Amino acid sequence: MLVLTCHACGVTAEETEFHAGGEAHLKRFGPGSSDEDFEEYLFMRANPKGVHFERWRHANGCGKWFHVARDTMTLEVFGSYSAQAFAPPEELLSRIEDRRPGWRGQD
Amino acid sequence: MKKYSVFAVAREAMRHHTGWNRAWRDAQPKKRYDVIIVGAGGHGLATAYYLGKNFGITNVAIIEKGWLGGGNTGRNTTIIRSNYLQDPSAAIYEKARSLYETMSQDLNYNVMFSPRGVIMLAQTEHEVRGYKRTAHANALQGVTTEFIGPERVKQLVPIINLDGPRYPVLGGLWQARGGTARHDAVAWGYARACSDMGMDVIQKCEVTGVRSEGGKVTGVSTNRGDIDCDKLGIVVAGHSGHLADMAGFRLPIESVALQALVSEPIKPCMDVVVMANTVHGYMSQSDKGEMVIGGGTDGYNNYTQRGSFHHIEETVRALVETFPMVSRLKMLRQWGGIVDVTGDRSPILSKTPVENVFINCGWGTGGFKAIPGSGWGFAELMAKGQSPLTDAFGLNRFQEGRFIDESVAAGVAH
Amino acid sequence: MSEPVSALKNISDLNGIAAIREIGPLGMITLRGDLSDRAVQDAAKTAGGANAPDQRKINAEGDGGVAWMSPDELLILCRYDEVPLRMTNLQAGLSKGHALAANVSDARAVFEVSGPRAREVLAKLAPVDLTPGQFEPGMMRRTRLAQVPAAFWMTDAETFRIVCFRSVAQYVFDLLKIAAQPGSEVDFF
Ligand SMILES: Cc1cc2nc3c(=O)[nH]c(=O)nc-3n(C[C@H](O)[C@H](O)[C@H](O)COP(=O)(O)OP(=O)(O)OC[C@H]3O[C@@H](n4cnc5c(N)ncnc54)[C@H](O)[C@@H]3O)c2cc1C
Ligand SMILES: [Zn+2]
Repeated sequence: MLVLTCHACGVTAEETEFHAGGEAHLKRFGPGSSDEDFEEYLFMRANPKGVHFERWRHANGCGKWFHVARDTMTLEVFGSYSAQAFAPPEELLSRIEDRRPGWRGQD
Repeated sequence: MKKYSVFAVAREAMRHHTGWNRAWRDAQPKKRYDVIIVGAGGHGLATAYYLGKNFGITNVAIIEKGWLGGGNTGRNTTIIRSNYLQDPSAAIYEKARSLYETMSQDLNYNVMFSPRGVIMLAQTEHEVRGYKRTAHANALQGVTTEFIGPERVKQLVPIINLDGPRYPVLGGLWQARGGTARHDAVAWGYARACSDMGMDVIQKCEVTGVRSEGGKVTGVSTNRGDIDCDKLGIVVAGHSGHLADMAGFRLPIESVALQALVSEPIKPCMDVVVMANTVHGYMSQSDKGEMVIGGGTDGYNNYTQRGSFHHIEETVRALVETFPMVSRLKMLRQWGGIVDVTGDRSPILSKTPVENVFINCGWGTGGFKAIPGSGWGFAELMAKGQSPLTDAFGLNRFQEGRFIDESVAAGVAH
Repeated sequence: MSEPVSALKNISDLNGIAAIREIGPLGMITLRGDLSDRAVQDAAKTAGGANAPDQRKINAEGDGGVAWMSPDELLILCRYDEVPLRMTNLQAGLSKGHALAANVSDARAVFEVSGPRAREVLAKLAPVDLTPGQFEPGMMRRTRLAQVPAAFWMTDAETFRIVCFRSVAQYVFDLLKIAAQPGSEVDFF
């Protein structure tokens, strides 16, 4: 059971108020892109053991999307950040670094 | 290997069971093998077995980081059926189901295959139409299955509630020769047969790296040293992404937790397997009398082998609707497995970008039923570079848009 | 003109550990727009008779008020028969900018759960911390009740108002009734 904080409305609740939306920061490739890029965008996933960034929606609450940083091995939640972001904020990354020293080198 | 037989049982009974041998040798890794299979779950072991049996390749090691069948194989609810919609699926699942029929004899090991029949309930008009379509497709594919009405469902499952509070039972897709088998025994039986052919089943040996030279595999690194091989088969279910990462390619796979639970044992009350996909729960009764129950996966990536509590609640709610008597049962145990889910919910049995590395994964929530068929086809793919059973399940299908779309057809893939 | 009726014709259940009443129909207008925009704030105030509330708050008095629903959404509460007038006012006030006002009164059902154990009844159904001090009058919470979305706030220390979709009114009433059934006290709070 995850306890998440919605970045849009600030509510902290367990996962049943939310809906998971898959890997974060995928770059969209549409018509005209190469087969490789399109496949990558649609199907290929990082699926890491450890630190993972993903999209969630506050489905039973304010209805907004946001981002979450989480550990898939321990279910520890590192924090949430805005849906309008192309990458996790530096402050969150360094918080993860404190908890998982050297994790960035792992992937 | 000493054969198991009624005479052996009688003989051992006379001498207080002092003469039984270990079912398989506790092997130490050698320096080199023709083939290494990573993962001693059902699919890995079956692959090794058919490499030996069908192609005479026996210089094989099956490497397992934990214990035999300790992954999803030993955690699943053992539903076996083959009435899938798409041709490639029906072919491989029916091959598997038919091999299950004679597996105990073939392996000289009782895997307790119990073809008690599997019903998938149709609880919406869409499901009725979907299952009728599947029944017609199966008729063309030579898979025996039929669509039955609610009276027949009630006859087969007296404890069922046909007019549930949310969804009435409108019928069901019934496969009379589907059923269950003993999950550990499937792994143990194959391991014993592999060991008997001279293969090494190596437990507590974790693969930590895949070594290659010029785009061609040369071996693996493990916590017990490097081991060389000509060909490598990766058969690690939920850990496939991790192993692919070691080998240097990506997979269209996400790993999520799927849970199951069992009740206290009770008197026999249901002698078929029932899946209620709309309300999302399924149930069968084990030989011990426990009701074996499963439901849905978590919606997010997870490697912890435990799922969310609310899924248990949802699953039990679904089953109480379907079988009201369940409300009186105590649940004894609950556990989770990490299942590997692909973009089209069908498996991958394929060559990979690294020469002589093959991958068998993506069985997700429903691969136990496929173990012998998958092993049969994957062994052929590894031995000959091609197999009619696995052709459609290549990695290239995601780029080429040739999906094997069972998710829409089945909803639940058990 | 036909008489407006609430979803369950103001059904009630007063036998449990808290009193359950369906109330209404009440007037409800969804207002979407940039909540930092003065025009939107003023329009909401005129229509709801109260200041636009802070995040996750509600400013309500009787059947009127304004609730914060999401970063770009307010809910205006009023008497059912006042909705047409309020809508006209809103539309006039918002004509210059980009905003949306929609009458959702008939899409909703409203319940009141009251009594010293009202918190307990709600806590059985929603994944929300309802400990006194954690949840108090003036707060607005969107969440779920068992399997359906709902929103609630407190009108006093022992009374909740719950809004859900009209199509699930019976389900929500049954849920509340079961959660409040006699003898089901948990004595948690
Ligand atoms: C709760 C649950 C219920 C299910 N119910 C059904 C059902 O009713 N019917 C059905 O058909 N299917 C069902 N399934 C799915 C089925 O269990 C799987 O599809 C199937 O068992 C997969 O077998 P496998 O051999 O591929 O994987 P596994 O049995 O998981 O074997 C993979 C092995 O690889 C090992 N491994 C991983 N990484 C490494 C490494 N680095 N080095 C060495 N070894 C490694 C693991 O330890 C593991 O033992 C269910 C699954 C679960 C979890
Ligand atoms: Zn929110």
